Amino acid sequence: MTALPANTSTQDLTGTASLHNHFSQWSVAAAPDGENATAMSVINHAALIKACANGRQSALKELMEAEGGRMLGVALRMLRRQDLAEDAVQDSFVLLWRRAGQFDAARGSAKGWIYTILRNRCLTLLRNSDREISVDPQEQEVAGDDHVLDSAWNRLDAASDLRMCLELLEPERRSAILSCYILGYSHGELAGRMQAPLGSVKSWIRRGLQKLRECMG
Amino acid sequence: MTERSLDDLIDEVVVGLASEEDCARIEKMAERDAEIAARLDSARMRYMALDETADELELPAQMWERVASDIATKQVSTEDKPPEIVDLTPAIRNRNRWRLMAIGSMAATIMLAVVLGWTLNARLEPTVIAVLLDAQGQPVALVEGARNNKTLVTLLEAARVPDNQVMQVWTKPDSDGPPVSLGLLPSERSGVLEVEGLPSPAADQLYEITFEPYGGSPTNLPTGPILGKGFAKTPVL
Repeated sequence: MTALPANTSTQDLTGTASLHNHFSQWSVAAAPDGENATAMSVINHAALIKACANGRQSALKELMEAEGGRMLGVALRMLRRQDLAEDAVQDSFVLLWRRAGQFDAARGSAKGWIYTILRNRCLTLLRNSDREISVDPQEQEVAGDDHVLDSAWNRLDAASDLRMCLELLEPERRSAILSCYILGYSHGELAGRMQAPLGSVKSWIRRGLQKLRECMG
Repeated sequence: MTERSLDDLIDEVVVGLASEEDCARIEKMAERDAEIAARLDSARMRYMALDETADELELPAQMWERVASDIATKQVSTEDKPPEIVDLTPAIRNRNRWRLMAIGSMAATIMLAVVLGWTLNARLEPTVIAVLLDAQGQPVALVEGARNNKTLVTLLEAARVPDNQVMQVWTKPDSDGPPVSLGLLPSERSGVLEVEGLPSPAADQLYEITFEPYGGSPTNLPTGPILGKGFAKTPVL
């Protein structure tokens, strides 16, 4: 294995034991997020979605109280504008209400379903705003993006498989994948930022996603 | 599609890199096939820890009221009930009746046709008119919106509608709100659309026609490529 990033060069990433050692240094920082996750899992998302499908608005309100704040955070990272992020959250709850009858708990996680609605809505708004307002990346914006990515990375639970597997990617590839998921970057934006041809950026990212999949599979 | 490329595509859908068409395709496949649904779900779960890293922000105080009012007002109007396409045959029949009455007199026929043209126009009484332009800035459709939310859509050229797709007409009654469907143009011809529950159209309102899967957008929001769009003006009458 060659060309490891400098900060991991002392680690032997081929051995499982040392891999865990490597990640254990993060476990203290991750504790608050861990607690948070436990508190949130008390909410039974699937049951609440089912209640929405039966027309109980209080269930939707309960979902909003449980997830709305986090959803606004997710939307703001992608859309960068408070008003658009609020619109995305509002639209998502309306969609959630309308599609609650289509949710099938046997087909997947309830929370995943909710965040998929939100993320799709954000991506649509992003694409529409790209069409109507020409978005020219400013220096300031790039710096802001880096800050958002750093903060997400630092908060990512060190014990999580995702964190461990992302650590195994080259920093550029890792940051590109995070930019897509967290900031809603498209292939085109990535290619622009990296000043690389679109086709090679596509396959380069795809290889990163494959590595993650194999690592986490 | 090989198994490997399907997994690639699923990952791209989940991280937000896939096109809207690919997203819709994967969603449809997952609906039909439990195994693909499971693969999609596990890909989502793979990345979901990243959503937990977002700040938990305070929602604006009015958020619940905004959502509740959207649910109350839009549910009865456009989304849950398929928009009706107004049948123009009664108007045509009406016209034929007028013609029959005028038979025997060419002059009267012409006069009646003129009167009729005026009558049809008067029936719609557009409060706004929008010319929809395509990406090249060419006019593709004329939209006339009336106070009673009847919308006359006149196509200005034959649209090349992709296979298994249909033209869907949208507007944004609230410029900050989501687009609302006014209905479909299934016959790929001009037509009158009618919806209930929307505010009367106003100047500067956005109108748009998109290509959507047959039966209309699955998300009740525009997903397909845009045929044309334009902002409404108030006609000087």
